[in-house]
Amino acid sequence: MLSGLVAGAIGCTAQATAPLPPRERLHVATTTSLYDTGLWGYLEPMFEEEYGVELDILYAGTGIALEYGRRGDVDVITVHSKSREEQYVAGGYGVERVPFAYNYFLLVGPENDPAGIKGMLPEEAFKRLVDTGTVSFVSRGDDSGTHGKEKAIWKSAGYDYETIQNAGGWYIEAGRGMGPTLLMASEKQGYTLADMGTFLSYKGKVDLVPIVEEGGILLNVYSVIAGNPEINPKVNYEMTSNLVSFLTSPEIQRLIGGYGTEEYGMSLFSPCAGAEPES
Amino acid sequence: MAVIETFNLGQEYGGRCVLRDVNLKIQRGEVFALIGPTGAGKTTLLRLLDLLEMPASGKVYFGGIDVTSSRHERLEARRRMSFVQQKPVVFTMSVYDNVACGLRWRKEKHEVIRQKVDDVLEIVAMSDCRDRNAKTLSGGETQRVAIARALTTQPEVLLLDELTANLDPVSISKIEEVLAHIIGEQKITVVMATHDMSQGQRLAGRIGVIMDGEILQVGSPNEVFTLPKNREVAEFVGVENILAGVVAEKESGLVTIDVNGSGIEAISDYEVGERVYALIRPEEITLTLSKDISSARNAFPGKIVKMALVGQLIRIEVDCGFPLLVLVTKRSAEELNLTPGKLVHASFKASAVRTIKRWH
Amino acid sequence: MDELWQGLVKAAQLIVSFDPEVVEITRRSLAISATSCSIVTLISIPLGSLIHFSRFPGKRGLVSVIQTLFSLPTVAVGLLVFVLFSRAGPLGELDIIFTPAVMVIGQVILVMPLILGLIISTLRGVDKAISETAISLGASRLQAAVITLKEARYAVVTAVIMGFGRALSEVGLALMVGGNIKGFTRTLTTAISLETSKGDIELALALGIILLLIALVINITLNRLQQR
Repeated sequence: MLSGLVAGAIGCTAQATAPLPPRERLHVATTTSLYDTGLWGYLEPMFEEEYGVELDILYAGTGIALEYGRRGDVDVITVHSKSREEQYVAGGYGVERVPFAYNYFLLVGPENDPAGIKGMLPEEAFKRLVDTGTVSFVSRGDDSGTHGKEKAIWKSAGYDYETIQNAGGWYIEAGRGMGPTLLMASEKQGYTLADMGTFLSYKGKVDLVPIVEEGGILLNVYSVIAGNPEINPKVNYEMTSNLVSFLTSPEIQRLIGGYGTEEYGMSLFSPCAGAEPES
Repeated sequence: MAVIETFNLGQEYGGRCVLRDVNLKIQRGEVFALIGPTGAGKTTLLRLLDLLEMPASGKVYFGGIDVTSSRHERLEARRRMSFVQQKPVVFTMSVYDNVACGLRWRKEKHEVIRQKVDDVLEIVAMSDCRDRNAKTLSGGETQRVAIARALTTQPEVLLLDELTANLDPVSISKIEEVLAHIIGEQKITVVMATHDMSQGQRLAGRIGVIMDGEILQVGSPNEVFTLPKNREVAEFVGVENILAGVVAEKESGLVTIDVNGSGIEAISDYEVGERVYALIRPEEITLTLSKDISSARNAFPGKIVKMALVGQLIRIEVDCGFPLLVLVTKRSAEELNLTPGKLVHASFKASAVRTIKRWH
Repeated sequence: MDELWQGLVKAAQLIVSFDPEVVEITRRSLAISATSCSIVTLISIPLGSLIHFSRFPGKRGLVSVIQTLFSLPTVAVGLLVFVLFSRAGPLGELDIIFTPAVMVIGQVILVMPLILGLIISTLRGVDKAISETAISLGASRLQAAVITLKEARYAVVTAVIMGFGRALSEVGLALMVGGNIKGFTRTLTTAISLETSKGDIELALALGIILLLIALVINITLNRLQQR
């Protein structure tokens, strides 16, 4: 009986896991918003077919993605935190920061706007939240690009982030991806900072509307960074270059720009083909 | 030739001495019974003989070779012996497989195994249980399987530990029948431990009495049974009348022993003046109501002090000037209407009296 | 309640239609756990016998340690394995991070103490007289060990099945070292984790129900065996 089990296990494993895969594998760590919007799910098969490799997409926050990149556990990262990206490349972990899409962050919240911040600028709105002190704000709290943007807004509004973390029970650190954070904010009928892409793709699932949409600080740029083969010899540099070219190629850029129009009525991303978009 | 010999064998468990100074010589082909009460050390001694344990002191020789310490020698010697435990354990498999185990471990061929196992199952009368799950057998059947299992390897020595201790009389006689058959047929040396004196008498050629970890007496059943070397043995083998006295007269093989003023006649070689015990087995004494003019040379009047039922017999204590313990059948007691206080005559032949030098 | 009912309905749909993705992750879950358990069993049976039948100083301490490791937290093992096999780690050369292979290795570490410890326990439960009888019948130490194992065979299988159950239902390790990559390292448990956090409760429930059904089958089998 035992031998039957073992034989079955080996058979199953050979089929389902293929430890020595016939095709090459490229590890990509992506920020959650690119995953939750379904953009990666849309682009993945296209790339795989064209180049004959398997893309292993790991769902991570910007913080974890950068760490994976530093350790060499992934070959490419797609994130959205300019300052940290620049540090990363400066540190020699990545070859080059290549922006390939952008959209805007939004401060979303319940329709009745309990803190009365509709139409304000982001920094003003944040100040009002602190002063009110009773309406929930759900932070990503996970060192992601969105979290980084949130911290930048707090700083711009003149607050020390640590003070905010201890400001009271209204400030909640969710510690999870964009989609899950939106769900939490919806449950609590509170506010949260979300990228437009994920927010739109979660429209039907959450009870939130855009409250603050204007403000230069809300620009959200996604970049792709290939791992530096000098620091991490395991990185498949040729294939990562292919991925970078793929994402910035005119055809894919066009597809990125149109992604979501059919389903959500507007596109989730705007293409920017390698150049930093204007604020 | 001694197949197993021990020299000053001793064993300890947790600091407690359970066996000491055992010097035994088991002769090839004999049936040796080791008898003694529970806890005397019979199992321990058997285990040492089977080389299952290392002794705390002393040596064991098998076939003339010292096998006490060398692991290899012990394994080799052990392979030539078989041990049947008091409560034998059978493996969860058919009777056939249980018995075939030992042979399979020795890598014997299929056909050879089949032949031997079937033969041995025949000897123990378990052939029709061949395919039954051994765990479903009764106590007696399990014992027989254990014996069969022990025999398949054609051991030179068979060690049996309290084979019938937990069985009903029917099973006991069945097993003794099987044993007698084995002993008769095969040239096998048997060392059996039992607390049943009479079983030892029935089956063995020599008996060793063990008590409290020491061998007190070794001899033929008859010797042990009637000429115990000391009080403990005497009591154990059922010689309940141990009368201290001095040889008063002697005349051509017949002596008169003065016991508390009474003269007991016995057949003996002891000289006048020697301090001896007169040993009489209770069942050899007859009780009558009037002085029995029979061939019994010893007849003493006395009064019944106590009566107690022991199975189908009555144990009667009679005061004849010296205490006498008598065993009579229930029937006789009823016929004679024996009651405590009654006056009776106790008589026994001179040949029923054994004499032994005083051990105190 | 409505949610639960929706989940049940969805589960039924997925099962009946043999939804390919669900079939795939179910097969992967079973394959990874079966592989790791087979490896552990093949090691634990001889190793457990060796430990049980030998006498050596510190034996009781060793068995104690093994039993303490029964419920190693899966995330702790996951973290350890990740750090070991990450490309930046000591075993990074093997390049197996985020593959099913490293998930198997992690599960082997996780489940080994459990199965090993249980096997030692079952051997202890077998009457000493069995091995002694075997030895007195001329069995070598190895042969005596084999027959003791045979006497305990149902208990041994029970131990293996318990280990399998643990491996199948753990999520912390699979998530950390496997990366939950769709089509490659996603298992039932990591998928449930993902779908829950993404808010697709219905799908998560459905997967959960499927996992429960498998656990049920395992437990029923366990019961039948224990009754023998």
